[in-house]
Amino acid sequence: MDARDLANEKAASQRGRRPWYRNVGAAATVALAGALAAGALAAPVAGAATAHAKAKGKPKATANVYASVEKQLSGLEKPPSGVSLLETGSTLLYPLISAWAAHYPATHVTTAGTGSGTGIADALNGTVQLGASDAYLPISDPSNLLDIPLDVSAQQVDYNLPGVKGHLKLNAAVLNGMYNGTITKWNDPAIAALNKGVSLPATTVVPLHRSDGSGDTFMFTSFLDFQDPSSWVASSGGPNTSIHFPSVPTALAEQGNGGMLAGCEKTTGCVAYIGISYLRSALKAGLGDAQLENGSGKYVLPTPGAISSEVASFQHIPSTGAISLVNSKNAKFGYPIVNFEYAIVNANQSSSTTAQAIRAFLAWGMDPRNGSSSTYLTPIYFHPLAPGAMQIALNLLKKIQ
Amino acid sequence: MSDESVDPLGQGGPPPPPPAAAGAVRGARRPRPPRPYARRLAERALRAGSTVTAIVPLGALVAMIVVLLVEALPAIRYNGWHFLTGSTWSQGSYYSPPVRTNGILHPAGATYGAWPLILGTIETSAIAIAIGFPIAFGAAIFIVEKLPKRLAGVVGLCLELLAGIPSVVIGLWGVLTLGPLLARDVYPLLAHLPNVPVLNIFRGYVGSGEGLLTSGIVLAAMIIPIIAATTRDLLRQVPEATREGAEALGMTGAEVFRTVQLRWIRTGVIGAVILGLGRALGETIAVALVSGSVISAATNIYGTMTTIAATIVSLLDSAQGDPTGLATRSLSEAALVLLGMTLIVNIGARMLVRRSARGAALPVGVGF
Repeated sequence: MDARDLANEKAASQRGRRPWYRNVGAAATVALAGALAAGALAAPVAGAATAHAKAKGKPKATANVYASVEKQLSGLEKPPSGVSLLETGSTLLYPLISAWAAHYPATHVTTAGTGSGTGIADALNGTVQLGASDAYLPISDPSNLLDIPLDVSAQQVDYNLPGVKGHLKLNAAVLNGMYNGTITKWNDPAIAALNKGVSLPATTVVPLHRSDGSGDTFMFTSFLDFQDPSSWVASSGGPNTSIHFPSVPTALAEQGNGGMLAGCEKTTGCVAYIGISYLRSALKAGLGDAQLENGSGKYVLPTPGAISSEVASFQHIPSTGAISLVNSKNAKFGYPIVNFEYAIVNANQSSSTTAQAIRAFLAWGMDPRNGSSSTYLTPIYFHPLAPGAMQIALNLLKKIQ
Repeated sequence: MSDESVDPLGQGGPPPPPPAAAGAVRGARRPRPPRPYARRLAERALRAGSTVTAIVPLGALVAMIVVLLVEALPAIRYNGWHFLTGSTWSQGSYYSPPVRTNGILHPAGATYGAWPLILGTIETSAIAIAIGFPIAFGAAIFIVEKLPKRLAGVVGLCLELLAGIPSVVIGLWGVLTLGPLLARDVYPLLAHLPNVPVLNIFRGYVGSGEGLLTSGIVLAAMIIPIIAATTRDLLRQVPEATREGAEALGMTGAEVFRTVQLRWIRTGVIGAVILGLGRALGETIAVALVSGSVISAATNIYGTMTTIAATIVSLLDSAQGDPTGLATRSLSEAALVLLGMTLIVNIGARMLVRRSARGAALPVGVGF
């Protein structure tokens, strides 16, 4: 369902042929994900693949993979009355969490999309109860600050080349060149080498980056650094939410994912990293969506199957919840830029009713029967946590007092 | 005001004081009966209150400087002179353990060079003055000299209204309307100017309308009302007698302007320009919207850049995520640099004005 959606929109906006390998690729990644999940996770969780296949509209009889966590979720989901919560942070998570806030009964949650850097900073100094971030916490932050995984999201690389049909193939080496000024035109030999048969225009490359502290910047620089060790990212201090981008004459900076989208729309030749919750709008605006090289050398689009197989390839998730899911070496058809969306919460809350309200809201949000059901997640191409990750998230959630 | 020094009645000055009483100390007040308690209390309360309110602005300025200094001190020690000359603004790696250098804890790889910020601030203010001053000066002259009285009143009102528009509104107009318009229609034409020494600064990659020249134009729009309104008020104060005398001598309008009005208002106009420059240096949100927010020096006149104020605003939230606190301290250091620049400009202007104006009141006939 989702693979065809993506293809149909792409076809409608660019009138290109729907690539034949998309459907085969989706079926293959689903099968592969099932095999990996069955081998890696415990027995009750073996039906993860079938659960995803069910979400795609292929009816199969499935065991409820979330059985082990459902009772814990229901136990946490009792909200106290008379509490209101403040949330701020990631613009990637913002569409989802504002939808949750609109439909969540009992507690009134005020949301804002200000960037992961602000989310972490405000949660750190107590301005808000819930900070949203696409990046996990730095190790030197105080230990009473928790990063709780909520859902699985991803990030795509969009470009504005009106004449180019289909999906360009890009990898970290080429993107590094674009962002440090060595690749200045779209018909550069390095890009042409990856995209044989595609006629590339001689448009100037305009690399867009985030001016605010951004979890998307963290994910993108992680991808650039992990896949291409000679990247400029290492000399700028490593992947970070706020990093010194090399000085390129044509570079532009924007605020928020919305700003990146708007900026890329009005600038021909732009390349921008945008969160996947904006993919639908990006495609509608006529932007192209790149196939990125993953850790196994394959070029993959951010389809639901590819994202699931990437996240499933990380078998050991630490109890702190902080793990990078970028550029997995074990997911043959996995999409390389995938992450957990985190809620940054202080474990010591001022009152136990606030703590209870936070636990209830987050539990409701990550519950695949409520906030993480397909009605919320499918339009933004997110995935609910796998049961293993969800157990870790629940353990962290219970620490909020 | 300037007419007070003229003596129409021929009195030759204020009347002499009455002769002192025998035995009185010169300057002492004659003894008075004691006043009621309530009036004494009211007098004391007024004095105390006005002393406090006089101290508050001074105290606020001193407190601001001291707090900034204290906050920025570790960053000053860590960054050294490299802060003013370096071009890399990097908060370092939050995801590796912090390191201690010279006794200061900081993220690994943190390096703060604010030269692009300082350069951007100077460049945008210079362009704003270069564009805004001739327009404002010309507008003021036109309003006072050429327009009929009623029209002058209306145009003057519009000017003052323009001064009152919030900067964020002008910034939004700049980024949504002016920038794209300039990038689409004006800059491509400017980029075709011939390759001669002064005009060739306009040649180069035109970009998307967000950058140095657009920021300069937006800032000019903000300082034009300040300079124009002040110049207009100054021109109105030039005495009619002097101007008419110059005209009676047979000078043309331009010569009258040059010898009488220009000399009269010169120091005041310098003051107005400094006021405008002060606003341009510190302008934050309009520049943050229109400049492109890229922390590097502009490569050509259309290039994206940033200023100190715009950087502080856009980086403050992510700087607060720095667990060692060095990022916020470096932003405080940048704010200190901006404060220093503004103080230098203001003090320099005052010294310039004092040197060219001899005496407080300008006597008739000597307009400089």
